[in-house]
Amino acid sequence: MTDVSNRIPRSRQKEAPRDAYRWIGRSMKRVEDPRLLTGHGTYADDIHLSGMAHAAVLRSPHAHARIKSINTSKAKALPGVILVMTGAEAAEQAGPLPCFANPPVKQMCIAVDRVRHVGEPVAAVVAESRYIAEDALELIDVTWEPLPVMADPEAASRATGDGVLHPDRGDTNIAFRRSFDFGPVDEDFAQADHIIRRKLRWPRSGAQPMETVGAVAEYNPGTGKFTIYANTSMYNYVGWLVAVSLGVPAHRLNIVPTLAGGSFGSKIFTHRVMVIAATLARASGRPVKYIEDRIDNITACDAHGCDRIYDVELAVKEGLMTGLKCRVIDDYGAYFQFGVGHHGNSLSQITGPYRLRSVRLDLTAVLTNKCQQGAYRGFGSDVSNFVLERMVDTAIAELNDDPIEFRRRNFIQPDQFPYLIPTGNMYDSGNYPAVLDRALGLLDYAGWRKKQAEARQNGRYIGIGVATCQERSVFSATEFWMLNEEPGFALTSSPESVSLKMDPTGKVYVALQAPFWGNSPETVATQVLAEQLQIDPQDIIVTYSDSDHGLNGTGPGGSRFTVMLAGAVVGAAHQLREKLIRVAAHMMEADTNDLELRDGKVGVRGVPGMEKTFAEVALHAHYFRLSMPDDPSLTSGLDAAHVYDHPVTTLPADDRKDLGIFYPIMGHMCHLPVVEVDIETGKVRFLAYAAVHDCGTLVNPMTLAGHVRGGVAQGIGTALYERYYYDQQGQLLTASFMDYLIPTVHELPDEIVVGHVETPSPFTEYGIKGGGEGGRMGAPPAVASAVEDALRPLGVKIDVLPLTPRYLRTSIREAQRRQVAAPA
Amino acid sequence: MKPPPFEYVRPVDLDGVLGALAQNSGETKILAGGQSLVPMMNLRLVAPKRLVDINRVPGLDRIARDGDRLLIGALARHTDVLTSPVVREYAPLVVAAYRHVAHRPIRNRGTIGGNLAHADPASELPAVMLALDAEFVLRSLAGERQVAAERFFLGTFETAARAAEVLTAIHIPLAAGSRRWGFEETSQRQGDFALVAVAVTFAVDGGRCANPRLAYAGAADRAVRIAAAEAALEGQSPDQTLFEQVAAKAAEAADPPEDLHADAAYRRDLVRALTRRALSAAARG
Amino acid sequence: MPIASESVRVTVNGTMYERNVEPRLLLSDFLRHELGLTGTHVGCEHGVCGMCTILLDGRTARSCLAFAVQADGCQIRTVEGLGTADALHAIQEAFWEMHGLQCGYCTPAMLMAAVELIEANPNPSREEILETVGGILCRCTGYQTIVEAVELAARRTRERAQ
Repeated sequence: MTDVSNRIPRSRQKEAPRDAYRWIGRSMKRVEDPRLLTGHGTYADDIHLSGMAHAAVLRSPHAHARIKSINTSKAKALPGVILVMTGAEAAEQAGPLPCFANPPVKQMCIAVDRVRHVGEPVAAVVAESRYIAEDALELIDVTWEPLPVMADPEAASRATGDGVLHPDRGDTNIAFRRSFDFGPVDEDFAQADHIIRRKLRWPRSGAQPMETVGAVAEYNPGTGKFTIYANTSMYNYVGWLVAVSLGVPAHRLNIVPTLAGGSFGSKIFTHRVMVIAATLARASGRPVKYIEDRIDNITACDAHGCDRIYDVELAVKEGLMTGLKCRVIDDYGAYFQFGVGHHGNSLSQITGPYRLRSVRLDLTAVLTNKCQQGAYRGFGSDVSNFVLERMVDTAIAELNDDPIEFRRRNFIQPDQFPYLIPTGNMYDSGNYPAVLDRALGLLDYAGWRKKQAEARQNGRYIGIGVATCQERSVFSATEFWMLNEEPGFALTSSPESVSLKMDPTGKVYVALQAPFWGNSPETVATQVLAEQLQIDPQDIIVTYSDSDHGLNGTGPGGSRFTVMLAGAVVGAAHQLREKLIRVAAHMMEADTNDLELRDGKVGVRGVPGMEKTFAEVALHAHYFRLSMPDDPSLTSGLDAAHVYDHPVTTLPADDRKDLGIFYPIMGHMCHLPVVEVDIETGKVRFLAYAAVHDCGTLVNPMTLAGHVRGGVAQGIGTALYERYYYDQQGQLLTASFMDYLIPTVHELPDEIVVGHVETPSPFTEYGIKGGGEGGRMGAPPAVASAVEDALRPLGVKIDVLPLTPRYLRTSIREAQRRQVAAPA
Repeated sequence: MKPPPFEYVRPVDLDGVLGALAQNSGETKILAGGQSLVPMMNLRLVAPKRLVDINRVPGLDRIARDGDRLLIGALARHTDVLTSPVVREYAPLVVAAYRHVAHRPIRNRGTIGGNLAHADPASELPAVMLALDAEFVLRSLAGERQVAAERFFLGTFETAARAAEVLTAIHIPLAAGSRRWGFEETSQRQGDFALVAVAVTFAVDGGRCANPRLAYAGAADRAVRIAAAEAALEGQSPDQTLFEQVAAKAAEAADPPEDLHADAAYRRDLVRALTRRALSAAARG
Repeated sequence: MPIASESVRVTVNGTMYERNVEPRLLLSDFLRHELGLTGTHVGCEHGVCGMCTILLDGRTARSCLAFAVQADGCQIRTVEGLGTADALHAIQEAFWEMHGLQCGYCTPAMLMAAVELIEANPNPSREEILETVGGILCRCTGYQTIVEAVELAARRTRERAQ
């Protein structure tokens, strides 16, 4: 790979932001909703195929063990059982699951000679009903040889021999070990007048959407082709990798998306469930439905969130932050599907909204006997936001500075954009002081500081949290491999596509390449297309392409879908517009330059009566070829397709001192929660919450606010309630919803007041930026900040999540004892 | 997560239930509201060979005042108990505790008898029954007997009910229901099982506490009263200083279980704080 | 052992169904797969998430915690009985306007719980609305717009009655 220059590429924006729109910017009711409201949405478990059978999976009770024997004879003999398959049998028919790490870590859809985490599939049963399949699971006899359990990443990093999970990769559980320097780190620390040090712990929580992962697979023995219905994404990007796992050429697999009942990253690829369902379908000769139950999903969804231990140092000189050093141990679990992509992600915004000029990242990724990490809303930047803001709060406390003014002083200023951060990524635009001021106003920050002072006099512990964080959007494919010693498959494409057609009656069809996750792709596509064509949204219908018919489309993730979809729609709409105008020009004997689209018609600018409806133009375009000019480019019909590539991305430098521009569409947020801590019980309640987000031009403010609030709710879950808790034997103690605690309405603020600031991107269509993940990326640091502020009189420091009542009460009790023992 | 197979019988009267229980009671479970039983069956933590559906048996869901006591049929749904004007009048502590019990759909189906017979140590209602001097009526083919709440909760999911017995009714003396009362709970989320819950009742006689009851969920392996704390309250003049002392005694005497969500030290802290708060609330009246 | 079969006669959204079922068949599975009413969803099968909430004889219940046989002789209402795209129920309209849904998975349950509340009391307090919404998990919305939707539906129901 050649050296890269760090010049910022020219913008390819076709549609500049403007002051007024017809459809963009409206809080339009969602197009998706009628079928969801009436119970007529089709989710994975709603798929019913004739002759369909049902699968269930035997989950490993051990965290680490060799499978000595599996006896399936009793299970097979149970009436209603069609097939029982062990991992060894599955491995004869299906190869390893896709892995983006290099070198890859081999994962089979069903464990073969050993299990590496509690819940890992050990065998699968196909039966006439899920009930019978589960009965059969109880009849499978497995004998085990337990192996040393790697439950602690530090211990795991030192293990050899039997404690190594993947000996074929070497006699170590360390999957990745590398240090990166960006900018003059040593110099900044040598010249600092103050160095802040802190150890921080971010344990794993996870998406836990209300719908689990599921697939219905059928195999046609006449064509040798699989069809898999699944609540998956990326089927039009890397779906063919599933065909590779199944041992068939890519065109012998069609993946058909169902609605997803939430994903938050956990359904980004769903390879294991699809490969299990398809393998069982081929082997049994029946269509097979495999839907994870909740325990399957909690223990083995392949999508746990980040799990990290940080040792951090921050250099400050004259009140300005200069350098940041992070030593991180990341507990990745038993497999490594995304490699250290989560850390590439962090490096896109690791310096936050501040003018920090150097960064050192010392990263050790360790494999342990837990479910592997996947993608969870934030994908690593949620953690680095937490880490940075904790360091900022610490600096403020140690320097006796003001939480607002310190941040303001350190902000990148509005006239400094586009801004290159030390890692090489670019922030395209922003106005951080404006977001901060808006948030302070929305909350009535000054008012709450007064109330806090009074409350402290009355023995109440009220805290105001401050978090000013970045929310990057639109990932580039480079983040997946740029940190590897050897890149492996160094892909650089992450496009999105749409195809459009207008039928002879003037209705417009938009086909998407990626699924519905609860984001609002149909509404976004409709609003942008309506804006482009000046057509009534009622005349637009959005459909979803399966992989047979799909174009290259990366799908949702990394807050990219709205931006990328808008880009694809604009590109295709431009082509469609041009053709509409050409046909209409011919029909009206006008000059194409004099025509415009208005209200579902093509008309002569400035001449109200001279126009043709889209229906008239479309009919003509479809059927009357011979009455149009003899120009080969004027084909019958009205259709267009567009592949929209990432609008601005560059390669990393060979020496990786510059990672290139890889996540530049940079949103920003300020979260200000107010909490009260009951110091006797450790319970936290919210008194207020303001969140201001800058996501550039807003397509639909209502749906964006929905994502902010939903993300805040998940962030509050991460901060106060949720943890996948593994004990020393690798047993998952939070294996059901009884112990994995998802917030209800009662645990959240009465109102999350959402504000918007818009600094458009110079690079995207209409200046749109993504905003799907922001809420969850801001709430954990904000809540940690608020609790620490509340407990400031007691000197309790917040270094760890979740802040359960037991954890806080214990910290408070210890702090009170310290105060009694050594009064100030 | 599907339950294992079972034989299902649905008797039309109590004798039918008792007869069914008497045969093979070791492998038979009563199906009332199902809100505790069915999750365990779906998780395959229990696999009864036979379920006796008691829901169609008439007369077991009455809620009424009966002389000097309040009678609540075991099959009364939580929703009906907590909205009953009779319960509100004669045992308001029960209504107050219900604000912490689960969620409406669970309360619509779950029965008070089912909850008490299940005896989850983190459940609120057993502690409430202890604080109200409740008596439980148990029926079997051999006849009927009454067991005081004090002697009913023996351990985690363990009660004095014998294998072939069914809890049919709960009696709460009006004298207990009319005492001052307080109820405090800490749980992780609203509606979750208690980490610790306290139900207190006491009368005030000549300016002093009489007949104190301090009952707890989360202070032991079952719902318990803490005698040492009650003794500290008995005959004393109710004020904050006393309440703090009683609370400290209760925390000291507690023998709380430990689990993922709370260790013993934390539960002791809760016993102390919640006891004081419940006593203060009771004193305010 | 042979799979025992019990007869169930149940009315769902006004239509009477008669089926023979295994006693252990959960009511949620009966509605979804036996009757094809897939609007009611399944999220956990241990009674916590509330996705499977329906109205059973007028009261909300977790259908994953009941056996189909227990519904013999009962009246059940599910989301399919509320409205259609061309004729939405007031509660469905309100959810649409207030953006009370994103992925839609908890929506049928939220709608049925709201129906129970508003039909019993068209002037619910905020606390009563929170108690209603509190019984069902939502992972997408953060609940605020769901609460607003229920408030709007209640207000419109009151206005319509006047």
